[in-house]
Amino acid sequence: MWTDLADLLFQAYERFGLLPLFIEIALAFIVIAVLATLIAYGAILWKRYKGFLQDKRTAFISPIIEDLITEQVLLNEKLGTDTPVDDIEFDQKALANLIYKKAFVRQILIDTLIQYRKNFRGEVGDLLRKLYLDMGLQKESYAKLKSIKWERKIKAVVELTQMDISISDVTILPLTNSGNASLRAAARNAYIQLSKNEPFKFFDIATEPLLPWDQLEMFKIITTTKDIPIPNFSRWVSYSSNKSVVTFCLKLIAHYDQQSAVPAVMDLLANKDHYFRASAINCLGKLTAEVAEEKMVRIYNNQPLICQTEILKAMGRIGSGKHLEFLKQEFLYSSNFDIRMNAARSIIKHKSEESEKLVEELMQITHEENQLIIRHCKNPLIKY
Amino acid sequence: MPNILVIEDDDIMLKAIRNILSKDGYTVVTAKDGKEAFEKLDSGTFDIVITDLMMPYANGLEVVSRLRTDESKKGIGIIVVSSVGNEETITEAFRLGADDYLKKPIMAGELLIRIRKLIASLNSKGGLITQNK
Repeated sequence: MWTDLADLLFQAYERFGLLPLFIEIALAFIVIAVLATLIAYGAILWKRYKGFLQDKRTAFISPIIEDLITEQVLLNEKLGTDTPVDDIEFDQKALANLIYKKAFVRQILIDTLIQYRKNFRGEVGDLLRKLYLDMGLQKESYAKLKSIKWERKIKAVVELTQMDISISDVTILPLTNSGNASLRAAARNAYIQLSKNEPFKFFDIATEPLLPWDQLEMFKIITTTKDIPIPNFSRWVSYSSNKSVVTFCLKLIAHYDQQSAVPAVMDLLANKDHYFRASAINCLGKLTAEVAEEKMVRIYNNQPLICQTEILKAMGRIGSGKHLEFLKQEFLYSSNFDIRMNAARSIIKHKSEESEKLVEELMQITHEENQLIIRHCKNPLIKY
Repeated sequence: MPNILVIEDDDIMLKAIRNILSKDGYTVVTAKDGKEAFEKLDSGTFDIVITDLMMPYANGLEVVSRLRTDESKKGIGIIVVSSVGNEETITEAFRLGADDYLKKPIMAGELLIRIRKLIASLNSKGGLITQNK
């Protein structure tokens, strides 16, 4: 049978040259398509088979690992006594089990320990970390950090961060400026959590942007990590050439109410970038920087809409009452709906006797649409 | 010892809490989601319910609400254990009738102390449900 098939293929090959060109091209495409399909199916099947084996191994190993953690950590007799966690010894026999020498078992063990650490802090959390160190699992994580694959590097950074194991600046700082956005974000988050003295040092060397989602993640980490030393962010506002770092610092300045940063933020009012100026105005408003009011009113007429609305919002946040007349003029005479809306909101936000009188006066003298705006802005359910 | 129902969709956390409580001598029953929890609550008697908030089928707030509106289960002590830390959710849990709230990551010792305090409080109010039966 095989010889017949070989003959047939040989004959086909010999006659292939005799066929018209377009038939030859079509046949070549058919053969390539069939081969590509077969290769794709083969790759999918191989991946699935590998996944199946991995799941099977994990299902077998996980209960053993969970038993180890339960026995050695959760139910450890020394927990809750006066013994410091560092002095608690594990059962060396249990740790010396040969199964824990295998690489894939060690990886499952690391993953499981991380899961536990996410759920437990205090003595249990510290003992989980001690188990990680006593089993030498940090060596696996450090080895992954040297990998050329970025996914493995991210895994290593996350593992070491979760286990609160320090990574040297020489290793992690270059990663905070990596061209790969995911690795960069993971390294920056890790640096903030692990660096004891200068968690924001990477801002100095950051040339790659802080993406909006990264900023959100970082903000969450900064505001929830315990005992993080908060620097004066105006330093980067003044000197950083990375726009996203400056924008992020403005948000942090507002969040931590760093009044000493007001002069540095005010300097940004002269910046050429509209969005930059808008962020600076927003920050000054949130800092209730009364000192900046005069300057904002002065530059108002030369600003684009985004900056004008931010200035109006800032007036409301500062609420000094010095510029109610300016807000009144904007409300009454601007042809732009957003301007009128923000001016009305800012007047109401003053919440002073004078502003209340002004609102009453405006309700008397203004037209129907403006009255509707005022009524809308007075609704406490609509957040400002 | 008091009966405790632990409702948690994370397998690891569920087993861990069960082990910690069992070690302290409590009788522990577990449920992986709100639906299973309702079935267990209907078929068993419990003194304390420890529940997560984010779960499939019925979330923790629904569990708290159901327990507080059911006359026969009003006396059950409820501790919410969740990674949700925003003020609105915490106040909502207390408003619906939760007795205590622990934010993840938790401290095992703290959980045990809060359970003991809750049991003492339930005892002073008229005794545990399982003891009264």
